[in-house]
Amino acid sequence: MTSGAPRRLLVAERVATACFLLAALAAIGLAVVYALGGQAQLEGALLGVALLTLGTGLILWAHHFLARGPFEEHREKLASSELEREEFEESFERQGVVTRRRLLLGSFIGAVGALGVAFLFPVRSLGPNPGKTLQRTPWRRGSHAITEDGRRVRAADVPLEGLVTIFPEGHPGSADGQVVLIRVHPRRLRLPPHRRDWAPDGLVAYSKVCTHAGCPVGLYQTKLGELLCPCHQSSFDALTGGDPVFGPAARALPQLPIAIDSDGFVIAQSDFHEPIGPTYWNRP
Amino acid sequence: MVGCAVFAVAWLLRPASGGAQEAARPHPDATDTRSIFLRDCATCHGADGRGTELAPDLKDAGAGLVDYYLLTGRMPLRDPSDRVQRGTPAYSPATIRRLVRYVSDLVGPGGPPIPHVDLARGNLARGGTLYRLQCAACHAWSGGGGALLHVDAPSTHPATPTQIAEAVRGGPGNMPAFGQAALTRSQVDSVVRYVRYLRQPDDRGGLPLWHLGPLAEGAVAVFLGLGALVFSTRWIGTRT
Repeated sequence: MTSGAPRRLLVAERVATACFLLAALAAIGLAVVYALGGQAQLEGALLGVALLTLGTGLILWAHHFLARGPFEEHREKLASSELEREEFEESFERQGVVTRRRLLLGSFIGAVGALGVAFLFPVRSLGPNPGKTLQRTPWRRGSHAITEDGRRVRAADVPLEGLVTIFPEGHPGSADGQVVLIRVHPRRLRLPPHRRDWAPDGLVAYSKVCTHAGCPVGLYQTKLGELLCPCHQSSFDALTGGDPVFGPAARALPQLPIAIDSDGFVIAQSDFHEPIGPTYWNRP
Repeated sequence: MVGCAVFAVAWLLRPASGGAQEAARPHPDATDTRSIFLRDCATCHGADGRGTELAPDLKDAGAGLVDYYLLTGRMPLRDPSDRVQRGTPAYSPATIRRLVRYVSDLVGPGGPPIPHVDLARGNLARGGTLYRLQCAACHAWSGGGGALLHVDAPSTHPATPTQIAEAVRGGPGNMPAFGQAALTRSQVDSVVRYVRYLRQPDDRGGLPLWHLGPLAEGAVAVFLGLGALVFSTRWIGTRT
């Protein structure tokens, strides 16, 4: 700054310098605190101070010491001159210069066509056809039910009003094989007639994948006998076969037919009888 | 006249709150366990404890849940239509122990017993994983409780380790029971340890915002942070 500069600018310069010095100090402090083992709040405060003072300094700099606008720049005329246009029209296609016009055109069409055909090939990558994978889960006839940590589930270990998340043996944590197993008083159950033997001793099993948006339906309200999905509050009646009673889900939770084997373990009678989870494009 | 004065004095000296309850229950420990049961429980649960249309069978509840309901003051209810919620226990711990034993002898074995909790055997990190998987959807990530469709899940903070384990194993109210198949003994210990930890969690961020959750934190960030951004943008854009 020259001695003739207004006092206002002098002050701004000093403040900006102070800001930068403070930012540097805060940054060094941040490094020191981090190296000494760290303290999240202090580090956050120092980083905040460093960034804030750095920004303040830069803004002061920009406001006071950079050239001030508004600036104008005149453009040249974009349109071509009359002479240029005439020359272009003349030279657009020079007659008689191309000797083998058909070959030129043919090779051009060949190039475009080949490129078009080449672009068709990635269509193959849209596959493979999902086939029936969306309609099947890893549950099979006789699959043992296991918990997430791989223990086989004994029917006697599920108390009345009890809840366990189970998976088919060999597929712990399987996304489409996850099932909620609950035990209710057998006399509370009002399953459809053909499902009477799907729930031995009041043990009922439903797919844990919500038929609305695929969230885990893991909340069982024992007195109401309802399974609740935490995402959008869809409720399913666990006593009548998983019928939706509230919320956006329109389809019932698929029920897994289960049985108890001679050693007292919970097993599946078969896979689900319908696709689990939310609706998809060609769901029957 | 004298009768009126005595009545007035008695009315003035009545306990400030819960007067009717106290009057119905002179001193719980003074009466024997059976008469307490017949007076406070049998109206709804039946003299044999096997339940009526007003209240469930105590055989299914098991010693663990009977203990839980009495220790947390949720039972006895003054009226069967009252809301079941945590309160001051109506009896002394000794009376509760005697009542639990009386009910167990009355209805026979059934339902989960009073669990034994060993916090030292629990693993806090594993407990946290299990809590987020099995409990957080209803009781909220902070243990503060939350609203469900027709009911609400209570806060877990006032519960003692034994009460937490009793609730996990027995499933009071609308909560499902988590038996041996769902959680092993050491897993219950871990969950209990984590639930106790949630009373005074280690808030790494420094400003927990009353543990209202990520939505509240986001709202604060939007209003404070975005507001500050708008003001600073305005300052940057001002011509001097």
